[in-house]
Amino acid sequence: MVAEITLRIESWPQTIAEFDRLIEASQDELVHFASYRLGNREDAEDVVQEVYVQAFQDREKRRSITDVRPYLFRMTGNRCTDFLRARARRPSEEAADIADNDNLFDSLAAAQRMAGLRSLLDQLPAREAEVIRLRAWSELTFAEVAIAVKSSVPTVKSRFRYGVERLRKLLNLQGSPI
Amino acid sequence: MTCKDAREGFIDIPNDEVLRHVESCAECGLHFSALQDVVQALTPPHRIAASNQFRERVMKRIVEEGSREGARPQSYWGRARWVTAGCAAALLLFLIPMLHIGGKSPAATLFAQSADAMSKVQSVHITGRIRTLPGDNFELIGANYDFVPIEIWREYSNPPRWRVEKPGRVAVMDGKSATMYMSASNTSASGGPYAGFVEWLRPMLDPQSILQNELADRTVASADLTESNGVTAAVIRRKAQGDFTNNWVQNKSIQESDHTCIYRFDSASKRLEGLQVNITVDGSEVTVAEFTGFRYNESLPPALFALRLPENVIAVVAPEDMKLAAVTLSGPKDAAAYFFDSLAHERWDDLLAVMPFSRIPDGWKKDGAGLQVISLGEPFKSGLYAGYFVPYQVRLRNGYVKTHNLAVRNDNPAHRWVWDGGF
Repeated sequence: MVAEITLRIESWPQTIAEFDRLIEASQDELVHFASYRLGNREDAEDVVQEVYVQAFQDREKRRSITDVRPYLFRMTGNRCTDFLRARARRPSEEAADIADNDNLFDSLAAAQRMAGLRSLLDQLPAREAEVIRLRAWSELTFAEVAIAVKSSVPTVKSRFRYGVERLRKLLNLQGSPI
Repeated sequence: MTCKDAREGFIDIPNDEVLRHVESCAECGLHFSALQDVVQALTPPHRIAASNQFRERVMKRIVEEGSREGARPQSYWGRARWVTAGCAAALLLFLIPMLHIGGKSPAATLFAQSADAMSKVQSVHITGRIRTLPGDNFELIGANYDFVPIEIWREYSNPPRWRVEKPGRVAVMDGKSATMYMSASNTSASGGPYAGFVEWLRPMLDPQSILQNELADRTVASADLTESNGVTAAVIRRKAQGDFTNNWVQNKSIQESDHTCIYRFDSASKRLEGLQVNITVDGSEVTVAEFTGFRYNESLPPALFALRLPENVIAVVAPEDMKLAAVTLSGPKDAAAYFFDSLAHERWDDLLAVMPFSRIPDGWKKDGAGLQVISLGEPFKSGLYAGYFVPYQVRLRNGYVKTHNLAVRNDNPAHRWVWDGGF
């Protein structure tokens, strides 16, 4: 009689093997999110690494959490905020690091555009900005964003709408109020 | 659909009904267009992926963290001589019981029942035998070595306490810290609760987690469960781990051998009652470890978990606390040369710059003084060992010519080259 052994991650990972699988599955989207938040991949990887380590350290008390993905984004967002508060970085560094693409000129332009967007988002109320970042820089649904920011779906949709309207004004985009 | 409904709808991914409304309502069309423009402006121009080494780097941190939680290893000396201690042992120990195994599988059933049975255990006393050298580290095995008895005591108190002992070597954890004593060299090392002293035997200190740990280990090649005559057997097979371009350490530890672990559980009580470890050498299976005595809930005397060291014991010193070498040691061969030169010329203080001891044991002075180096070869790596092996041939003062590999490593926080075995 041979036992069929399968591994499933249905809740917060508890073993090193499960964390390995979690990291494999989520590292790119978290690093992507943090890179645009912080302006470069090096800092983003440092932050995301600490998120995983914290997730491992706290695995016992987070055992009952089933929506792992939005929680990881929440942790990453919080760590990014802490990081940005702790260290002011020069925009030129950000642009150089994000410009990791075949077409350097396009990338630099894109990096500068994203740096500008980050600056605009920083002018929004923090809760609106966070919802927009989570929605635009990750592939989280509004339901997942709601979990990530500990709020309801209607509330995060409202924050998104108001935030986008503010951004539209800041960007001087044409069109009627949203 | 009303305009209000439509505007609610296009905040999210718009459905067909919303899109039809947008096409037919100019005002909502403007709203929708404005939203799309902003969302477009927010969309990152590139996907940024994690770097190639990122996952490995994070896993290394997590393994270290897991090791620190349960072990807080402080003593460099306590690490396995033949393996990268932190990693291999910690992987086994901390792949803990939360793994979800297929819901109705025999493994899952055995899991739950075994864990439940073990939760009622206050102590376990395990007896067995291992093919190893008396006094050498707990990791060392050899197909040609004789069997040496080994005993393990584990008390599930708060904090837990344990003792592992074989002839010439004993490690004790008293609830706060661990101490290991090697009688032949009269040396001792101390560290955190596990401190890496007992290496691959660590899972034996938590028999309730063994099966979970084994099944969670990614290196498991196959795992079978069988049941007969009141005994449930779990057979776990693994390939040797490590780089064996040079096979010096192949088959010198369990992890560095193709091996099979056969666990036996009492089908009624679900408690572990046996473990046999076979390694494959030249196509033949050789039993290198057997644990056959599992006595649960014995009353264990407190003295078992207290280790009284001789007053003249030689302490193992952390590399950062060792004295500095008189010359710069730029690599493993330099370190080996300095080691032998110090021995040859009886410069015991200099020797302490590469030997992590508080003083040189008399036996070393007797055996090593005046030796003559015949040759030193090129350093090589083997298996999982984090350091280097330096081939050497020396003639001792008594005329005996010794050919062996000196183990040296510098994977310590101070990056100091230190002797780690092989003399």
